[in-house]
Amino acid sequence: MSGVDVAERPRPEPSDLTRPFWEAAREHRLVRQVCDACGRGFFTPQIACPRCLSTAWTWTPSTGRGTVYSATVVHRAPYPGFTSPYHVVMVDLEEDWTMLSNLVGTGEAPVAIGSAVEVDWLELEDEITLPVFRPADEGSGR
Amino acid sequence: MSFRGRLADVAIVGVGSTQQARRLGTTSLHASLEAAKAALADAGLTKDDVDGIAARWPGPGGTVFQPGSADWAGLLGIHVDWIGDSYPQGVPAVLDAAAAISAGLCETVLITGGQAGVMEAEAGKVAKYTRPANEFVEPYGSFTSTQFALVAQRYLHRFPEARGAMAEVAATIRNTGSANPEAVMHGRGPYTAQDVLDAPKVVDPFTRLDLCLANEGAAALVLTTVERARACRAAPVVVLGGGMEWMRQQYVDPPRYEEVRTVGAKAARRAFSMCGLGPEDVDAFQLYDVNSYEVLRQFEAVGLCGEGEAGELVRERGIGVDGGLPTCTDGGVLSFSHIGWGAPTLKIIEGVRQIRGEAGHRQVEGAEVVLAAGAGAGAQYHNVVLLGPDR
Ligand SMILES: [Zn+2]
Repeated sequence: MSGVDVAERPRPEPSDLTRPFWEAAREHRLVRQVCDACGRGFFTPQIACPRCLSTAWTWTPSTGRGTVYSATVVHRAPYPGFTSPYHVVMVDLEEDWTMLSNLVGTGEAPVAIGSAVEVDWLELEDEITLPVFRPADEGSGR
Repeated sequence: MSFRGRLADVAIVGVGSTQQARRLGTTSLHASLEAAKAALADAGLTKDDVDGIAARWPGPGGTVFQPGSADWAGLLGIHVDWIGDSYPQGVPAVLDAAAAISAGLCETVLITGGQAGVMEAEAGKVAKYTRPANEFVEPYGSFTSTQFALVAQRYLHRFPEARGAMAEVAATIRNTGSANPEAVMHGRGPYTAQDVLDAPKVVDPFTRLDLCLANEGAAALVLTTVERARACRAAPVVVLGGGMEWMRQQYVDPPRYEEVRTVGAKAARRAFSMCGLGPEDVDAFQLYDVNSYEVLRQFEAVGLCGEGEAGELVRERGIGVDGGLPTCTDGGVLSFSHIGWGAPTLKIIEGVRQIRGEAGHRQVEGAEVVLAAGAGAGAQYHNVVLLGPDR
């Protein structure tokens, strides 16, 4: 698959706030924060709910299923760690939150806005697993 | 017609820049100092006239506690009464300085910045300031142009015919720059819209010719009271109005088209309301042309047309120096120069030169009101300033 150059890819450097996201990813679970007070889900991580400012929230599993909100193909890698071309996508998850990621397991042709996708996992050998997305399987419930 | 506005008691009285080039054999600090000296000389002032500074400090050394501007006070050997470190370049620096001068906190502000001796180390990578160092962005290879591309792809999903207009925008601005002897891309081209479409792809929908440069150079401004400016060397260019809009930190949460497509619209409305003008009064648009889509989006945001209508607008009226909507009259960041954090200041300099009537072969005849802008939808902030003659 194009786009994967695991050795050189920049690693996330988790903070105390974001570490649970990456620890869950290591176990192939996709999570985001959900506010205990108002129920709003939010990502990227914040110390408080951006809607009601409650600091009580819970890391909550996502189905990992969603649709492509926007998509682009990068033809010239901006820095080492990527083999061109590769896909960068914004995925709207079914629980009403959004994630920037890569689309894998598809050809070099651009993917259509609105396509069904599901989470997949890119192991970066050491302690980091990156959540990425691939086209949803036929009959995966969508 | 006379031009008055809420900040019109403040004028830009000096502009200065270094050579703009792919590589300059010097440092960011040397280049920024050279630009500062040029701006002061242009104003007919000296460093001892400066009592306010807005400038990044690129090192060596410095910025132990406060960022930037205080380091410059040390280098210049002056004590100052005001520093503006929040966004010390381009439109926000001009508006912050104008507000400070207008309020009486200081009288004469120097703004300077740029980059030099840094691009060589970036071989094989895009410029450092285009690589968001965020754990939810960088591992996915999403550099700044990618974030803009994700917005443009949504726009083209709704308005697919706009791709041709984007290509025409890029070709026109690049041809304007090609004719500018000071431009990094001087003499390159001319380009057709088809050349833009056929250029090597970088990140869909953008080809290399849709996207701005990354090069070296520095740019500086001097602002003072209009009263003082009238005694200076060059004709004062007054600050008619301005506005700033920030949605969130750039390049962390990816931009959603429906949210960011109008970023800058409120800032533009505020700028126009401060001086009683409207978008049709603008004689030249120094839009922030980081890519061809942004030019279309910014015409929609400043209120010249509705959503999806900018392609038709630029085709009907033309954005060349001789067109109905002269745009990026120095060649913009697409062709003239993009010097990182110094680039937003270049937009102001070109506005001043147009209003002074000093733009030579690229002079927009009778240019009085100039709009200058900074950043765009992918960056999730946008700022606008209106400049005009002192009368
Ligand atoms: Zn809440």
